[in-house]
Amino acid sequence: MSSIAAPGTQGHGLALRAGILAYVGALILIPLSALLFRGLEGGLAGLREAVTESTAWQAVLLTLWTAAIMAVVNALFGTLTAWALVRYRFPGRGMISALVDLPFAVPTLVTGVMLVTLLGPQSVLGGWLAAQRMQVAFAPPSIVLALLFVTLPFVVRAVEPVLMEQDPAEEEAARTLGAGTWTVFLRVLLPPMMPAILSGTIRSFARALGEFGSIVVVSGNIPYRTLTAPIYIFGEIESGQPARAAAVSVVLLAAALALNLGARGIERITGARHGQA
Amino acid sequence: MLRQFRLRAVVTIAALAATLATGCGPPSPEATASGKVRTLTLGAYTTPREAYGKAIIPAFQRAWKEKTGEEVRFQESYLGSGAQARAIAGGFEADVAALSLEADIEKLAGAGLIKRDWKAGPHRGVVTRSIVVIAVREGNPKGIRDWDDLRRPGLQVLTPNVRTSGGAMWNVCAMYGAALRGGTTAAKGDTSAAEALLRDVLRNASVMDKGARESIISFEKGIGDAAITYENEVLVGRQSGRRYDYVVPHSTILIENPVAVVDVYADRHGNRDLADAFVAFLTTPEAQRAFADYGLRPVDATAKREVAARLPKVSDLFTIGDLGGWPRVTATLFAPQGVYERVMSSLKAKP
Amino acid sequence: MARLEGARSLSPGQCAVVLTVCAYIGLVLVLPIVALVSRAVAQGPAPLLAAAGDPAARGGLVLTLVLAAIAVLANGIAGVVGALVMVRQRFLARRVLDALVDMPLAVSPVMTGLAFLLVFGRGGWLEPALGLLHLKVTFAFPGLVLATLFVTFPFTLREVAYVLAELGTDEEQAAVTLGASAWQTFWLITLPNIRFGLGNGIVLTLARALGEFGAVLVIGGAISGKTQTATIFIYNAVEERQEPAAYAMALVLAFASIALLVVIEWLKRRRSAEN
Repeated sequence: MSSIAAPGTQGHGLALRAGILAYVGALILIPLSALLFRGLEGGLAGLREAVTESTAWQAVLLTLWTAAIMAVVNALFGTLTAWALVRYRFPGRGMISALVDLPFAVPTLVTGVMLVTLLGPQSVLGGWLAAQRMQVAFAPPSIVLALLFVTLPFVVRAVEPVLMEQDPAEEEAARTLGAGTWTVFLRVLLPPMMPAILSGTIRSFARALGEFGSIVVVSGNIPYRTLTAPIYIFGEIESGQPARAAAVSVVLLAAALALNLGARGIERITGARHGQA
Repeated sequence: MLRQFRLRAVVTIAALAATLATGCGPPSPEATASGKVRTLTLGAYTTPREAYGKAIIPAFQRAWKEKTGEEVRFQESYLGSGAQARAIAGGFEADVAALSLEADIEKLAGAGLIKRDWKAGPHRGVVTRSIVVIAVREGNPKGIRDWDDLRRPGLQVLTPNVRTSGGAMWNVCAMYGAALRGGTTAAKGDTSAAEALLRDVLRNASVMDKGARESIISFEKGIGDAAITYENEVLVGRQSGRRYDYVVPHSTILIENPVAVVDVYADRHGNRDLADAFVAFLTTPEAQRAFADYGLRPVDATAKREVAARLPKVSDLFTIGDLGGWPRVTATLFAPQGVYERVMSSLKAKP
Repeated sequence: MARLEGARSLSPGQCAVVLTVCAYIGLVLVLPIVALVSRAVAQGPAPLLAAAGDPAARGGLVLTLVLAAIAVLANGIAGVVGALVMVRQRFLARRVLDALVDMPLAVSPVMTGLAFLLVFGRGGWLEPALGLLHLKVTFAFPGLVLATLFVTFPFTLREVAYVLAELGTDEEQAAVTLGASAWQTFWLITLPNIRFGLGNGIVLTLARALGEFGAVLVIGGAISGKTQTATIFIYNAVEERQEPAAYAMALVLAFASIALLVVIEWLKRRRSAEN
């Protein structure tokens, strides 16, 4: 049985292990168990009933499709960004690279306030959009924008390490064999990137499922139209329906966990590290 | 060494325990130069934020200091009335509950938190009144005159969410009651016509915020063509420089806002005397005038007279009593099989 | 290493890519920040200064900073301990621990608040115990502490674990054979080796704690004078039409975030420089 440093410190090792297990048990396991138990009070039938209730169901669907659009945009532009950051040198590159980490630092509520300031009817842009009859603030597009801000780093940071490790020899070889740029890209460069793009996108999707602070300010929270699942849950808590809130939470949490597990599996297989800041 | 390691662990645990302990235990009054400092916790609905925060509470603090030499610190929470009632019932230890409607205070009584007869005072526990009005854009470009105008297809109407907001419930009662009383195009007493009015207006409801305050703020942000709200919300909004007008329907409901001491918590905090004094203070002419300054209609006779001239009259002003009282209204309108739920379900088919 | 295209040798296609990326980042990230700053600044210095003198604003900031400090301390220590345990020990519950560590990243803030409400609130698991001990957790400071500890938990642990996994135990083993105690080994060998991971973890913990909103809103109740953090202050200020105050605080938090970002970047540079 190994221990922290070497034989002779086993006592410490066990104490530390017990300590961390107790801490995690108390802080994380117990509250989540309470959530699980309350959510599963009505059994699986209860779960289904809570989620398929019309307002809840619409909220879940909205959450899913806005997250999906965000994921697609993120996959595309995140990859592009990683590509430009790793392979090109251009003025402002350092700044952009630093900016990519910004969403990890900014409070989500502040993100929401920023978006309202930018897009609300009283702003220059918002007024213009309203004149064009384009509803962005307090409508689904604002949700997608908020999600894009919050999850921007995920794909970029996942793809960057892969690009940096790429061996230029393969690319050169393909070119000397006469392959065109597109073929080189699709056959040589993209395949190693795919797992990273996939895992980053999956993680951003999972993150989006639970987003609250930025959306609650900017979406308008209209049931059936701009009410996302986390905000629905919040409403249920405030309306004195913790059981219903817990039930929908359990479903959402299960989805997020499954997705994160999938992403982790992909990362394990490819030996990559989940791109944190 | 093992000792150092244990010491570190102990210190960490002690620090964490101390941290957790900082918020615990009964509050102990600190001594100041002139006397004790006490803390009173108020749980209110969203609308009278300014009235309490800027006028009533400072006035009470002055009055109490003069009378007893004690300093009173206030902790305030403003949520939708329903949400606040649930928070207090769920563990938020407010000493005084100032909610939008009687039914929400009754929830606290039902939870065993209010033990005395809170309606025993001269005004049956009510401290302020208001009316349900329709806020419109400056100049009333859409020409909204009454409830029926809100049925127009394509019009965007704001009203809060009934689950959390007391104001939302008053709004629904106002419309439904006005229809039943013949104040709209619906025939007097025709419940299905009243329900149809409700459905048409709610169909136009584009944002349902958590509270009356959130709702009017959405309106101020530029959402919607009209907002059904408390008269005092509009007046306070205009005081802060927002520009919009409001329409007083021919027939609308008189909003009566109750306040009660939450006995269980007040006793636990040793604040019974302070809480009673605060609630009593709310119906003094001074406090009532302060409420009036923030757009609320007073209950006190003196203040009422002073304010009568500057607030619009309503042709047909009815009360919740005219609709059968809160228990009956809750059962017919807001219960799971009630009118409101029926209307919302029938609307959900088309987003 | 990968091929690099210098700025001068960018083809039109590559230029297009760079411009697209800049436009994307500009639209999604920069524009909102600019909007906030310009709106806040357009109000002039007076409202911002008035907001700075507001005791509620100061109280909110202090509360947030205290919560952040507690999170950094507690989860910093727990993170280091947890990383050591997870990377260097093999035991049955290790997989479970691994899964639990990542949980806070998957849980939505409102769910976190709900979970703690279900444990400590009315009708909750620990309600009787709390009553006996005269402890107030929900709608009170301890609840905020727990929520903040929960959401900030994984960061330090993950960062330090990553570094530890790459390091191996050679140096520590050497130290022990030379007669160092466990504490000395930790303090003089392990800790310096993990300092970048620890630093990164602390910065991320700070950022997350500063930005926590949903969980503290649910468990704390947004009570001014009691459970109103900086973010909740902004939320409440918007309700009270105190826009100057809301923007001022949002600006403060935004600048704090940018400062943290600078630290993250600096750490990255130091780390790669030392490698």
